[in-house]
Formats: sequence, C-alpha cells, structure tokens
Amino acid sequence: MDHPIYYPKSEYIETDTGNKVSRRATIAGPQNIILGGKTIIANGAIIRGDLRRTGPGHAVVISLGRYCLVGEGCIMRPPYKTYRGNFNYYPMKVGDHVHIGANTVVEAAQIGSHVEIGKNCVIGKFTIIKDCAKIADNTVIPPNTVIPALSSFAGSPGRFVEDMPESTQEMVEAMTKSYYSRFQPDPGSAATQQR
Amino acid sequence: MSPGVEYYCPCQASTPHPPQPNLASSSYSFHALHNLYFCEECDAIRCNHCVMVEVSGYYCPNCLFEVPSASVRAEKTRYQSCARNCFMCPSCSNTLTVVPSDPPDNGDERIPPTINAAGEPPFFLYCNHCRWDSAEVGITFEKPTGLAAQLQKFEDSAPESLEFERLKEHFEPYLRASPSTSGNGLHTHSPHMNPITAAASSALARDIPGVARYMPHALSRSRSGRDKNANRQEVPDYRARVEIGAITTGYALGGGAEPDVEFMRHLETVEEVATLDQRWGNSWVTSPRSIDLKPLRIPLHSKKSKRCPTCRHILIKPEQKAQSVRYKIKLVAANYLPAITVSLPHMQAALAMLRRSGRANAEPQDGTMLAGKTYPFHLSFQNPLYDPIQVRLHVQRAIPPTQPNAPETEKARRPPFAITLPTQAFPIAAFAEAWEYDDDEDMFGLEGEGEGEDEDFDAHGPKDSRGKSRTVGVLERRANVTMIGGEVMISKEARGDMKFNMLVSYTYRSDDPEPEEPSTPSRSQAQHKQPEMKTFSFYTVVDLGTIIVRDTSSVDLDS
Repeated sequence: MDHPIYYPKSEYIETDTGNKVSRRATIAGPQNIILGGKTIIANGAIIRGDLRRTGPGHAVVISLGRYCLVGEGCIMRPPYKTYRGNFNYYPMKVGDHVHIGANTVVEAAQIGSHVEIGKNCVIGKFTIIKDCAKIADNTVIPPNTVIPALSSFAGSPGRFVEDMPESTQEMVEAMTKSYYSRFQPDPGSAATQQR
Repeated sequence: MSPGVEYYCPCQASTPHPPQPNLASSSYSFHALHNLYFCEECDAIRCNHCVMVEVSGYYCPNCLFEVPSASVRAEKTRYQSCARNCFMCPSCSNTLTVVPSDPPDNGDERIPPTINAAGEPPFFLYCNHCRWDSAEVGITFEKPTGLAAQLQKFEDSAPESLEFERLKEHFEPYLRASPSTSGNGLHTHSPHMNPITAAASSALARDIPGVARYMPHALSRSRSGRDKNANRQEVPDYRARVEIGAITTGYALGGGAEPDVEFMRHLETVEEVATLDQRWGNSWVTSPRSIDLKPLRIPLHSKKSKRCPTCRHILIKPEQKAQSVRYKIKLVAANYLPAITVSLPHMQAALAMLRRSGRANAEPQDGTMLAGKTYPFHLSFQNPLYDPIQVRLHVQRAIPPTQPNAPETEKARRPPFAITLPTQAFPIAAFAEAWEYDDDEDMFGLEGEGEGEDEDFDAHGPKDSRGKSRTVGVLERRANVTMIGGEVMISKEARGDMKFNMLVSYTYRSDDPEPEEPSTPSRSQAQHKQPEMKTFSFYTVVDLGTIIVRDTSSVDLDS
C-alpha cells in the first residue's frame, strides 16, 4: 500500500512549492496556468493554457489546487462556446486533492475538491463537478452535466450510481497526500545495492 | 482482488460471531472501515444496513436547487422531481438542454446549443449526448423558462396521471378514516400493515397468482384480518377509468395486439423500438415505439442523516446546504477503530523485481500464493485515538456451530490453511495531531525505505525471530502505526480464497472526564484497574488473496 512510486529524477521538474511536472508533459501557455503546490503533472499530459479568453490583459486559463494529479496522457483543455456570435474559451478551475486518471480528457468548467476521476474518461465541456464526487473509469460525461457533491458517476453517458460514503473527504485527502509522498525520484541503482 | 481487511457489523446475525468468511453470505456482513459508523452510546459498530436513515433535505441533482421538504411532501403527485427546468433524455437519461428552434447559424449541429433567452420562440429540449430532441415527439415550448409548468398540461392529461388522481380520490375517505380506527400507536409501529397497503397487497395477490407467496404481510393479514375487519369498513371495489383489458384488445400500441404487430412488421432499424430500460419507469402499457418517448423529470436527490438503530442517537448529520460536504455530526468507525491494512511481502518483492526489470505496470496482481507453502504477511494497525492502545489478536478458529450441519459440509468448511499471529498484546502509540500538519513528510521518511527493510527488521525488531524467515511478531513501530507479522501455512490441497476471521481486541484508557461512555455494561468490559482501562473487540475478515495450484503458476514468487 505505502510503497514508493519511483520516477527517474531527470524526468520531472520540481518547483519550490513542490509541484512535480514531467518534462515529457506538454504545457502550453504556462503563464496562464496556476498549480497550487504538491501537484503532479505526469508524463504525456497536455495542458492547454494557451487557449485563453480573447481580450487584453492577463487571464488565468487553468488553475489546479494542491495535491492534484494529472495522470499520464491526460488532456486538460478549457471549455469553449460561441455566445452571442462570439467564440470564446472559458477558464477551468480545479480544487485541491483532485486525481485525474490516465488518458482522460477534461474540458470541465469547474471541478471541486476531493474529486477522483478515473482512467480513460471524457469530461465534457462546461461540466461542473462538485466536491467529493467520483467518476469511475471509462465514463463519458456529456457537456453541461452537473455532478452533485458526494455522488459517484459511471457509464456512457455518465449516470449517477450511488452516494459516496460520509468519510470520502478524509479518504481522498489521505490518498492524495500519500500518493504525493510516495511519488519520489528513484534513489538510483547505487542506493539500492547499498542496502 | 488485492489483499484487504474488512470489518464486521453484527447487525445481520443473532450471535456476535461472524459467519465463516468462505461463505458467500458473509460478504454481506463485512464492510470496509470507511463505510462503518460507531455509536458512542451503545459502544458498537453500525453499518449502512442497520442504521436508520432520515431525509434531511432534498435537492435537484442537475440544477442543485434545494427543494424545501415541505413542498416535496405537499407535491406527492409530482413524484418528487425537479419542478424547474430540468429534464432527462428518455433515450439515454442524460440531462436535456433547452434550445431555440432556429438558431441563426444552424450549419453545424455539433456546436452544442446553449440556453439563449434571445432565441426564436418555439423552444425544445435537446440531448447533448444522443441528439434526441423533443420536437421529434411534438413537444415544444413558447418560453425557455418554466418548462415544467408548461409540460404539466401534457402530464396532467395523461391517462395514468388521471387514473392516479382517481385512485387517490377513491382511497381518500378511507385514508382519512383509518387513523381513528387503527389508533396512533399501531400506525407508527407497523407502517407495513397500514390498511391501504394491506388492501393494495391483497388486491395484487388476488390479481396476480403467485405474488401472495412473496408478501409476508399479505399472509399475516389474511390470518389476522378477520378480527380487524370487525371494526373497519371494507374498501369498496375500485373500477379503473381505463380498463387494461380494453387496451390490450383495442387499438392502442403496446398492448401486444394488431397495431404492435403492424409496427414491428415495418421496422427498419432496431432503434425504432424503445428498450425495456427506457420504458421501465413508466406505469401502464406504453407504446413500444421509441419516438413516443417523452422527456422525463429528474428525480430529486436527498441528503440523509443516520441514526443508531438501538439508541436512536444521531450518527450522521449533514450540513443544511445541499452541496456542502461537511457534517454537523459524523461518528464514523474510522475515528474509533484502528485501521488495519494487510500486505504480502513476497508480492511486493516480486513487484519490485518486476519494476526493476523494465517498468512493468505497477499494478499488483492477485495474491498469488501457491498451495503447500508458507508465506509471511504483514498487518499494520493505525491508531486513530489520542491515547495509546494495546491490541490483541485472535484468529477465529473453532467456529461455534450456528446450526448443526451435516458433518460432511462441516469438514469442507474448515479452512485448509493455518494462520500464525503474535499472541501477546502489542502497543500502538497515540495519534498525534501535529503530524497532520507536517504534511506527512517525516512520517514518510521511514516509509520511503520500506521495501527492502523486511530483512532488517528481523535483526533489530521482533523478539521471537527464530530464523531468517520467521517473521511473526511486532515488526515495526512508528508514530501511531504498528506493523506486525503473521504467517500462513497453506496445505497441499488448499484451493480458493484465503480469508480468515480475526478478532481484534484493543484496550484503551478511558479518561476521567469520560463524556463518551458512562461505563455501559454492554460490550465493553470495564476493567477497573488503574485509570480505568476498557476493551473493545471487533471482528474483521482478512483476505490474503487466492491460492493457486502449483502447476498453473509459471512465476516463482518465492525467491
């Protein structure tokens, strides 16, 4: 359970606030992306911070909270729509302790805290995911869906399956924290031989 | 399934001892720790099967509007669905969007239509997922708001809602009269036996042969019915507005008669027929054509508070706000019982080896244990209490015969493996809040080295390390976690899952100002020693994985 997940040290860049960003992830428009700290961006993830709202000035496109994980091959892309004839991108906000499984495409408008999203999901445009929700693996959430707090969704289209247990918040928090601390640079072959 | 530990809630059984873990029914009595509650008054574990659930608030899962309980109760006929603009697609049950009928630029359908107050008048509902739209079934709206009210007209004129109104009218006088005859006490005590339910079930039993067998209260009614009928008038027969028989023989679709055959004959695609799933929620005989499906109301969700079934104290009380995930009261078992996790060192060794040789996916395979071998396993206990505890473990070996079985089956039930666990009590240090704030780093410092350390522990850790492989005893103590080692000896002919029941007793010091337990003589045997020690015991089932027969396994996991 609590065994380290090693990565080659050269593969990830660690920031002052403890974010670990893979060198093999595609971060477009980094000036428009906020990472809360202790967030991991895995290999092959694509984060489109460049798709910003038209207009002058600085705009935050994607903000992630603390202890998040953007899994391998994930695509995080801000939602867009044409409103009154104007095409525009809209910001995406992600709370703390959010894990997004591998190869999931996220175009949500808002994801709360303590949310678990499985592998190979598609989260449609302008989806709102409230706190402590859980999206099972291989779920397709159509655009404009609202996922209430403490609910578990699965299927295509994603449907409500069950309520999450009352202790979801603590569990997810413990899980994301332990994941972060387990996610360590490989001590290397020299260190392992020494033991 | 990877190895795991589940906790026992005794609510299903008459004895405090859990059923044998290899029985299929036992899984119903064991729960993951995070699903359990703990009643301080009764000093007992409670689970979702036994707690009393009360609705503390309703909300629409789509618009998240909090519907006052009073209006939910008042609008019984609206079957507790969202009364605003929320509808569900009848063909894929996705939520529907309101769209104007002729957007200025209709070139690309893929662009999802948006709610636009300035759209063209005839509005309709559109599904973003399967592209169903309500104009196909002839439902359009003049305004994009208050759709539920606009649709109400359709719904009110539907035969089933008219029928339901009539049914209500029919039983209304009887309902009003019944509390006076049956008395208040009886009414609250047995909701199943209220006269309306009884009448309905007896009618059902009469009309559908075979149903009576499955309805215990229908039977009991027939037994006790006679004397009760003395002071209660019989419900007059209800005559349906629309005879179902008329539909089936008539010309309506869905009755299984000529029109249906005609429809089926001219089918071009399967999609023209509505699936059973899509029609299931409808009452009455419904048309089998998928183009006859109507948009569905979205049923409300509820927030629930939970009570202890015996003392009625609240275990779970959510905050009023629907989307808040906080609780005013939350008595979960995880705050009282030590969290136990099980790990198999030989599996981790194998995994580490796999990882070293080419980065294989770090997913643990099933507990691969060969028959006829001995394996060590680790159980780690995490103490959630602010006081240190002493834990003692017992494997449930001789099972008290719950019912005298044939000796043959008795033999089959005996587990084909032997478990060795440390017999002495071992301590677990108190939970210290400060560690939470340290962001787990130093806590992990030890853990990080975890893997290869199994051998090291033998040197400095356990007292009864008899050999290199003997790993029964306390292996590691750090913070509020103690890890102990056990051993399982699998016999040659062992098959199936390796699960065993384990009784965990822990002794803790209950402080002088004891608000939690005024020394209830229930389950905790208050041992009046020094500063009052108390013992709480609970059963768990430990699943070590599946035993595989030697020849099938090609991987040698034992180094």
